[in-house]
Amino acid sequence: MSKPRVAIFDFACCEGCQLQIVNMEEEILDLINLVDVVEWREAMSEQNTEYDIALVEGSITRPEDEERIKEIRGRAKILVALGACAVIGGVNKLKNRFDLEDVRRYVYHDDADMPHLQTAQTKALHEVVDVDYKIPGCPIDRKEFSYVVKCLAVGKKPEIPSYSVCVECKMKENVCRFEYNEVCLGPITRAGCGARCPSNGFWCFGCRGLVDDPNVNAAKDVMEKYGKTIDDLKHRLALFNTDEERAHA
Amino acid sequence: MSIKKLDQAALDRWVDGLIERKKVVGAAQRGDHFSFGELTSASELRLDYDMSILPPKKYFLPPTEDLISFRRDGGFESIFEEDPMVLLGVHPYDMFAISQLDTLFSEDNDDIHYRKRREAITIVASDVQTASEDVFAGCMGTATIDHGFDILLTKIGDQYLVDIRTEKGQAITMGFGEMPDATDDDLDQRERLWAENQKVLRKHELRPAVGYLPKLLGESYDHPIWEEKAELCFSCGSCNLVCPTCYCFDVQDELNWDVTSGHRYRIWDGCMLANFAIVAGDHNFRAAKSERFRHRYFRKGKYIPEKIGQTGCVGCGRCVSACVAKIANPVEIYNRIAEGKE
Amino acid sequence: MSTATVAQMDLAQKDIYLPDLATVTKVASMTEMEMFLEFTLDSGQELGHEPGQFVEVSIPGIGEAPISVSSSPTQKGMFQLVVRNAGNVTNAMHQLQPGDKVGIRGPFGTCFPVEEAMKGKDILFICGGIGLVPVRSAIDYVLSNRSQYGDVTILFGAKSPAERLFTDEIEVWKARDDASFYETVDRADETWKGNVGVITRLIPPLKFDPLNTICLVCGPPVMYKYVVLELWWKRVPNESIYVSLERRMKCGVGKCGHCQINGLYACQDGPVFKFADIIEVPEAL
Repeated sequence: MSKPRVAIFDFACCEGCQLQIVNMEEEILDLINLVDVVEWREAMSEQNTEYDIALVEGSITRPEDEERIKEIRGRAKILVALGACAVIGGVNKLKNRFDLEDVRRYVYHDDADMPHLQTAQTKALHEVVDVDYKIPGCPIDRKEFSYVVKCLAVGKKPEIPSYSVCVECKMKENVCRFEYNEVCLGPITRAGCGARCPSNGFWCFGCRGLVDDPNVNAAKDVMEKYGKTIDDLKHRLALFNTDEERAHA
Repeated sequence: MSIKKLDQAALDRWVDGLIERKKVVGAAQRGDHFSFGELTSASELRLDYDMSILPPKKYFLPPTEDLISFRRDGGFESIFEEDPMVLLGVHPYDMFAISQLDTLFSEDNDDIHYRKRREAITIVASDVQTASEDVFAGCMGTATIDHGFDILLTKIGDQYLVDIRTEKGQAITMGFGEMPDATDDDLDQRERLWAENQKVLRKHELRPAVGYLPKLLGESYDHPIWEEKAELCFSCGSCNLVCPTCYCFDVQDELNWDVTSGHRYRIWDGCMLANFAIVAGDHNFRAAKSERFRHRYFRKGKYIPEKIGQTGCVGCGRCVSACVAKIANPVEIYNRIAEGKE
Repeated sequence: MSTATVAQMDLAQKDIYLPDLATVTKVASMTEMEMFLEFTLDSGQELGHEPGQFVEVSIPGIGEAPISVSSSPTQKGMFQLVVRNAGNVTNAMHQLQPGDKVGIRGPFGTCFPVEEAMKGKDILFICGGIGLVPVRSAIDYVLSNRSQYGDVTILFGAKSPAERLFTDEIEVWKARDDASFYETVDRADETWKGNVGVITRLIPPLKFDPLNTICLVCGPPVMYKYVVLELWWKRVPNESIYVSLERRMKCGVGKCGHCQINGLYACQDGPVFKFADIIEVPEAL
């Protein structure tokens, strides 16, 4: 069986997810043994238009991005969204709360009118093209990335947890962040990160997006039990989950 | 077998001696909470702890546990990960829970992954010195215990009674010099402490008798409380995961990088999680939050008792504390459905 | 050490999660979604199942899934499964070729009462879609021991003509003069000349003695209630109705909790239940 050809692309992002792949250290050799990486701007100079699996980091923020992701989709048998920006739009979606023209002038000042600085509403990949699999998180979890790659190599459909971060947080025997009077998004955020933030003394920021059927109404009532307001919750949600925050206005 | 007596200094010498020879795990402080962990010195052991975040179940049924190694071209082998240790400071209600898991994992089909771990652990139980915020073991008949452990420690004044019950318990007390025998007066004091603990470990008061729960639940399948409470349920499974008697698990295969070999492991699961009862083709046999919520209380109060004759809740109160939405108090639920009955 | 002691020790060391190896001996595509597979155990032993039981099939690296045994134990030297491509394991099973190895645990669970309640009685088989897969083991068993049973009637409903299973065997059943076979499809196409409509419509026209008939029912979750209602109209007692229920039987040995139907375990107390035993079990149907 020939090795699947993998190409890695990026759109609007910090490339932190690709850095997680680079940082796999000795495991990166295992990865390269298993798949043929044919294009990866972050780590190699070759370009290639023939590939089976496209791993795509970043969100779609410009009209020309839409054309490019459609072309990638057209070439790839399997398209995997890599990280919060690609999976849910992530931090980039904060832009959608403002007037785009204001945003562009605020960021680029005098250069704002240059043609390559056109901007559009931020979209996650699935809002533009069909996405086969999603590896959420800011950044992605290396263990989960390895799991997905191995699954794809043997034709298995990878399963990303449907349950909340609380599951992994309890397994780590952390003290619940609510006990520290913090608003933690763990109960409504999709697990898979090993509850990394709560295990290191932070609340969950919700970077992996919400679970399939988040009980947002409960979240509102629960806020009151802890002397918090719905605005405290919305404030926390806005960072990675602008769409959900606005949907529950 | 025999009941001895030690002062704190002698107890510390004994524990330090054990640590030199064996893996010793005990209740220790963790921030402003307690948890079971490996001890490097007797000074870390906190027998006055109120509640550990996770029950000692994690040593018998770890959050993830390898079961089988495989090769993709065919070939399976069992993996046994028994981890010999002395487990210090198990509270009576947690000891009841371990005995319950012993029964559930051995009856019908003996799970030797569980059994090998279990047999490799020597349990030193300890009577509760500090009642936790939400404990209600006194209502469940689990505030004190007289079987299941290898040794039971009870603090009487500034002395510890060391009640050695098994060969395994005997084995870890050998070679530490003579321990004086407990006197009749010591044993009377222990009786009084037990009576006291049965009163004190009742931060929530269960009104129906424990033995009445199966019948009570049988009449309450359509009670409005299931919908009402589940309205606020995140389906986060925290109540399952901190429970000393919950033992549901999922099984997954993990491939090595060569993708020709790997291992099969089990991982804690919970009946409150949305996809717990989903089958291939995506039919979910317990799709509604209220159905899952009800299932948990039925399992503890009806299904487990009907299977093994013991209540599936030992009254540790961990679920009460762990539930972010504050809806998971079994006492509150069982009291509510008992309203207007009898 | 005496032999008995050795045997006891083996039993004490048996790992209930460790699969035995089996080899694929035959594969055949049945419909777009269903694959027929035949296996033999590498130990050379019989699977030793009863009609209605299931096995846990392991595709190493992919996972394990509960699959009903479709062949009758009267067929020796092999066993047969039919799998719908619905998840990772069944998808991988669809790729299997003769000679490939899989892991097998089991057989597990309860069986259709072919040796007890059914003996000497008229038998009515009611199968919706892939519900025919487990029931086929009982049909074959009964037809192989034909003289020990009374009248035999088989009802089968498929969603469409293309989704009919065991079409060759259906022809054989139809041709037998010691069994009756009726079928229907939910949606016909231009090739279909037979009944159209849900399977429950096949029940009212039947003439049978409700007090001397045992009914075996298996199909999609939605089917059971309606079939039982039709059987009640015919005055069939609950004691005479057996249903085979699907749940997430992950471990197969009554530990993991996934297949619980209220207090019952589908993997141990089921998958075959006498309807009288589950009428008070709200999660069952």
